[in-house]
Amino acid sequence: MKAYFLLQFKMGNRRMIDFGLPLLIGYALLICAFLLFSNYLFENTEFATYIYGLAALSMVSKFSAYERNDFLKSIFNRTNYKKLRLLENSICCIPFTLFLLYQKQFIFAILLHVFAMLLALLQFSTTFNFTIPTPFGKTPFEFTVGFRKTFYVFPIAYVLTYISILVGNFNIGVFAMLLIGMVCFSYYSKMENEYFVWNFNLSPKEFLLQKIKTCFSFFTFLSLPILIALSVSFLGEIEILIIFFLLCYTYLATMILAKYSDFPNEINISQGILIAMSFMFPPMLFIIIPYFYSRSIKKLNTVLHD
Amino acid sequence: MIKIEKLSKFYGQKQVLNTIDLAFEKGKIYGIVGENGAGKTTLFRCISGLENYKGNIKSAFKNLKDHLGLLLTEPFFFPKITGSEYIQLLANARQIKLTNMEDKNIFDLPLNQYASTYSTGMKKKLALTAILLQENDVFILDEPFNGVDIQSNLLITEIIKKFKKLDKTVLISSHIFSTLAATCDEIFLMKNGEIIRKVQQEDFSNLETEMKNFTIGNRIDKLELK
Repeated sequence: MKAYFLLQFKMGNRRMIDFGLPLLIGYALLICAFLLFSNYLFENTEFATYIYGLAALSMVSKFSAYERNDFLKSIFNRTNYKKLRLLENSICCIPFTLFLLYQKQFIFAILLHVFAMLLALLQFSTTFNFTIPTPFGKTPFEFTVGFRKTFYVFPIAYVLTYISILVGNFNIGVFAMLLIGMVCFSYYSKMENEYFVWNFNLSPKEFLLQKIKTCFSFFTFLSLPILIALSVSFLGEIEILIIFFLLCYTYLATMILAKYSDFPNEINISQGILIAMSFMFPPMLFIIIPYFYSRSIKKLNTVLHD
Repeated sequence: MIKIEKLSKFYGQKQVLNTIDLAFEKGKIYGIVGENGAGKTTLFRCISGLENYKGNIKSAFKNLKDHLGLLLTEPFFFPKITGSEYIQLLANARQIKLTNMEDKNIFDLPLNQYASTYSTGMKKKLALTAILLQENDVFILDEPFNGVDIQSNLLITEIIKKFKKLDKTVLISSHIFSTLAATCDEIFLMKNGEIIRKVQQEDFSNLETEMKNFTIGNRIDKLELK
């Protein structure tokens, strides 16, 4: 069992190195990010304990995936498997428990740890036989896959828009539109297998344009109801609305260009930093868009040809 | 049709393909055999343009890859994409308009289910269906019979024979000699990144016997099984 945990540790380290982070800096950043997130949550909302608990349990629940547990069962005997799973969940939950103790939430801390360990006895099957319908099946794959993973966000965004109109709060409406923008943005965060790029009989430029065109039309399809509803209800704020809408387009295009700028590798830490900086200082987009574009053309040229 | 001249490939210091010269004609089926790690898949990846290489690969097409159907040993599938969406994705990539997809589902796959939930054989059949519907002129089939049931095996064999009639060029790698013997015009034997033999149809049976003797030899005795 010791060998198993050592292997998990090694795998974690390798992931960090692959992401472009030296181990010491990586662990320091991880601890800082965790403490900042925890602190922010407890300072800003009275429901922090519940959100915190849910975040911890959803993280721990990833260990309960069906295939993973089947594999573990096949290599460990029953007693060792249970010990291992209990330990695994417990270790993952420790930072959350410690922070709750620091916040003097003693009962919550104990309950969270007990629940996390109980989760070790459950297994989640991911192979249920139901296909979530999507309007994007004719042009796979980013929106098809993404929509199926985040379908519940869209009704929430539309309800928020309705509430925004009902209570006359324009900001909630803008938030709803940005929410859709951010969700669509996330569809482009993972690199597809190079085979799917290789298949296209387009030049790199045509390929990128097609990707951006598809993204814009599907984003418009999803956010147009919000845009129309808010335009009608807050006519005086229409300029702000259009600016946010155009910003969503710009960031979506930036994300697509960033995604292919290190093809066939995933977006790395430096690209991530550039995107994050552009969120804080949007004029940076005038520099990073041409930069990502020229890099993407160069990288895509290895499998697509002019 | 496709001419390979002095093709070499290195991964770091390790040479995986060593000055390969090959020519593939239109309307012919070619088999590539060799041990695991002999370089078959790397050769296919070079021809497809998925790898950089030293040497030349010339073809009758401006961009060979735009006319090439590539079946990978282990096809990749997105987690939440259905069989029909996978086929659509590959057709869209080549600007092919698909009609009557259900009728063309010759392997009777559950096209409305997520492809990631398919069995190994079903995944292979789905990937094959997708490249068949791309209307390619050249096909590279890396282990097309692996994990596939006997009925589909027969169907794939007949599809390959049909390709010959349609004047397509097909390159197949397989460890199942009988299927290669039934379909190929010529078989190339690879070892350590080199083509060590080119065998014509009339010598296939000799090749099988030779390979058996060479591969098996006295290796099993070395295990000292009791």
